[in-house]
Amino acid sequence: MDMFLYIDKDTFLHRLDPRTKLAVMFGSFVIALLFESLPILLALAVIILLYGHSGKVLSNLKRIRVILFMIGLMSIVIWSITRGGETKLLGPITLEGIIYGITVGIKFNVMIISGMIFLSSTTIEGISLGLVKLKVPYRGAFAFSTAIRLVPMIVATSYTITQAQRSRGLDLDSGSFIQRIKKYVPLIIPTFVSVIRSTNVFSMALESKGFGYDKERTYYMELSFRSVDYVILIITLLLILVSIYAKITFKL
Amino acid sequence: MGKAVSIENLTFRYKDQKNGNAIENINLDIDEGQFVVIMGPSGAGKSTLANCLNGLIPHFIRGEYSGQVLINGMNTKEYPVSKMAKEIGLVFQDFESQLFSTNTKLEIAFGPENFKFERAEIEKRIKEVLKTVQLEGFEDRQPPTLSGGQKQRLAIGSVLASKPKIICMDEPTTDLDPIGKMGIFTIAKELHQEGSLTLIIIEHETEEALYADRLIIMEEGHILRDGDPEEILTDVELMDRIGIMPLQIPKYFSKVSSLESHELPLTPEKGLEKFNSLKLEIDDKEYINIINEDLEREKNYGDVLIEVKGLEHTYPNGKTALKGVNLTIREGEFLAILGHNGSGKTTLVKHFNGLLLPTKGQVIVGGKDTKESSIFEIGKLVGYAFQNPDHQIFADTVYEEVAFSPKIRGYSETEIEERVREALKAVDMEGFEKEDPFSLTKGQRQRIAVASILSARPKVIILDEPTTGLDFKEQRQMMELIRQLNEKGHTIVMITHTMWVVSEYAHKVAVVNDGKVVLYGSTRDVFKKEEELLKTYLKTPHIVSFSNKLGKTLLSVDEMIRCTKGV
Repeated sequence: MDMFLYIDKDTFLHRLDPRTKLAVMFGSFVIALLFESLPILLALAVIILLYGHSGKVLSNLKRIRVILFMIGLMSIVIWSITRGGETKLLGPITLEGIIYGITVGIKFNVMIISGMIFLSSTTIEGISLGLVKLKVPYRGAFAFSTAIRLVPMIVATSYTITQAQRSRGLDLDSGSFIQRIKKYVPLIIPTFVSVIRSTNVFSMALESKGFGYDKERTYYMELSFRSVDYVILIITLLLILVSIYAKITFKL
Repeated sequence: MGKAVSIENLTFRYKDQKNGNAIENINLDIDEGQFVVIMGPSGAGKSTLANCLNGLIPHFIRGEYSGQVLINGMNTKEYPVSKMAKEIGLVFQDFESQLFSTNTKLEIAFGPENFKFERAEIEKRIKEVLKTVQLEGFEDRQPPTLSGGQKQRLAIGSVLASKPKIICMDEPTTDLDPIGKMGIFTIAKELHQEGSLTLIIIEHETEEALYADRLIIMEEGHILRDGDPEEILTDVELMDRIGIMPLQIPKYFSKVSSLESHELPLTPEKGLEKFNSLKLEIDDKEYINIINEDLEREKNYGDVLIEVKGLEHTYPNGKTALKGVNLTIREGEFLAILGHNGSGKTTLVKHFNGLLLPTKGQVIVGGKDTKESSIFEIGKLVGYAFQNPDHQIFADTVYEEVAFSPKIRGYSETEIEERVREALKAVDMEGFEKEDPFSLTKGQRQRIAVASILSARPKVIILDEPTTGLDFKEQRQMMELIRQLNEKGHTIVMITHTMWVVSEYAHKVAVVNDGKVVLYGSTRDVFKKEEELLKTYLKTPHIVSFSNKLGKTLLSVDEMIRCTKGV
């Protein structure tokens, strides 16, 4: 079980400054949230996928494929029934509804994929150093990066615990909805206990290594904002501006 | 030389502690440059003492605190932990939770960064530290991908990098294989020889305590003995009484000779000299008897319960953990599975109850291919107790915890009651039914975890590291319990690092190395091959090495005494 989302490779994407990658991520969020047009969102999805492909980190999407699929499916099902529209297909289902469902599904998936690409290509230290350079206090930046670190740790722990309880006969696949929820109690309690214990050791270890010794600290890692970073940053900014302009003028 | 540590009348009681104090009236001075080992049974207050040294107590862990601790003259009560960290580095037992960086270099840099060292200086220290902890070439590895021993060495390195004058390690070797343990102690010894570093190690491996300048024995919050390791370790009676594993060689000689305790040899090499000078001999007839008893036991095994044929397993991430394993486990066997951290032994046993399925080859349990069965079905035959009892305990009461498995299988109320009673009796925990499992000690929780497996009445019981984190007395109790289960007819498969446990309890041994079973046979036959074991990072207990030097393989002090002539 891999603990980190980060995939250690030496690519164009990995060498970008974390601040640039952060900007690209936020840019994609803004554009995705602005539009409800299928062609524009599809174009955005292609750009983001190409961007992720340049860093060879798209393999991480396999880990969240169920989530991505479920979001797409739920969105299509819900909107095709409830959206309404001109072209009735079957009962309450309309063509406009289906298209809208697909659009909204892509909108959310693009944001998730964009976030995933950021986390897969940036080290935790890079993220917190990037935030520090953006004038976020070190403690805050460290807390943020720790939260990211915690997620895979909880996943790994719950995986072990699930195995332990299944070995004792816990069968998660059968029973009614309520019965199934009850079955999660033997998983949730040990997970909480273990996570609380290890975060406790973690915070003691931090203090014992001098965390908070002084307001200032040095950084072994170096960030360099190179010309390619400026180029990407400018492109991102331009895309955002064009999008806002288009949104206002053409009401897309 | 100055005093590195000076403790006066230190008493501490945890906020939620029911009775007594965790440590009481401790007075202790440690000189600069000393190498001190602290030993004692669980609950003796060793970790409490360690946490007092850098101020985690009273700043981080609350309770009633009195007395004072001076570290290089600084009172820990007056400075925050992060300031004390520059003077004293603390390494914790749980190495998984103290490593948090993306790669080895950044992990080592974390401390010096906090102390505002220049980047060039940090770079230099990373190089030095990697060399000291023998992790050169691992600069860019992600810590989770390292083996247990490497992780613990990195944890030590990350503390060393800030160059504190004192380092305290709290049970650094508990989860490690024998060679991993030795690696840690070799590093400790080298650090100590290099210069003025003061080293304090809390440990329960007696064989390793021999390296120290000074040994402190703690019991019930007090310092019981304080002095020369050789002198204390030869006091076999004291070790036995307070529940620290006595060294096997002096224990043996104290039984077969009338040597004064200071004359007792400590190591296998010294033992051999003594054996010859005392004109002791091996009783060949008795040795043959022992061998015949082994053969007799093997003849009485029942049907084949688990059969593993050409088993290969490749994880979804592409890593091949098993590369063709063949094993046959028969009813009544007691099999120990050995191998260093990361050798594939856990992957192997997870195939025995269907948690993992072969990607190639076959595993047949009770006559059925695991691919055509389910964990729920196999679970009736094979019970699996995981390494950490806290990964499975969830109920409010011990009764509910143990009743979980029979309940889920739909047995009647009376049947469940009967099974819980039987399981708690087997683990010697009757009368604890209404207790909250989380309030029990680690040893007791381990027993509850085993009981909750037993309540399903499985024929085969798999135990992953059942003695880790327990002190010697608790380890003994746990192993006696497992022995009784085995004698009642349960087949036991046990993963462990603790070599004396294997030597005294297991009938058969399978050594896994790099995804293959490299040594497989009766414990006696396998432990005869000391050099081959060493190649797979395993080391036989002292008494076995000693008997091997005499040309026979004897597995316990008792067996050795039985085979000694000329007393």
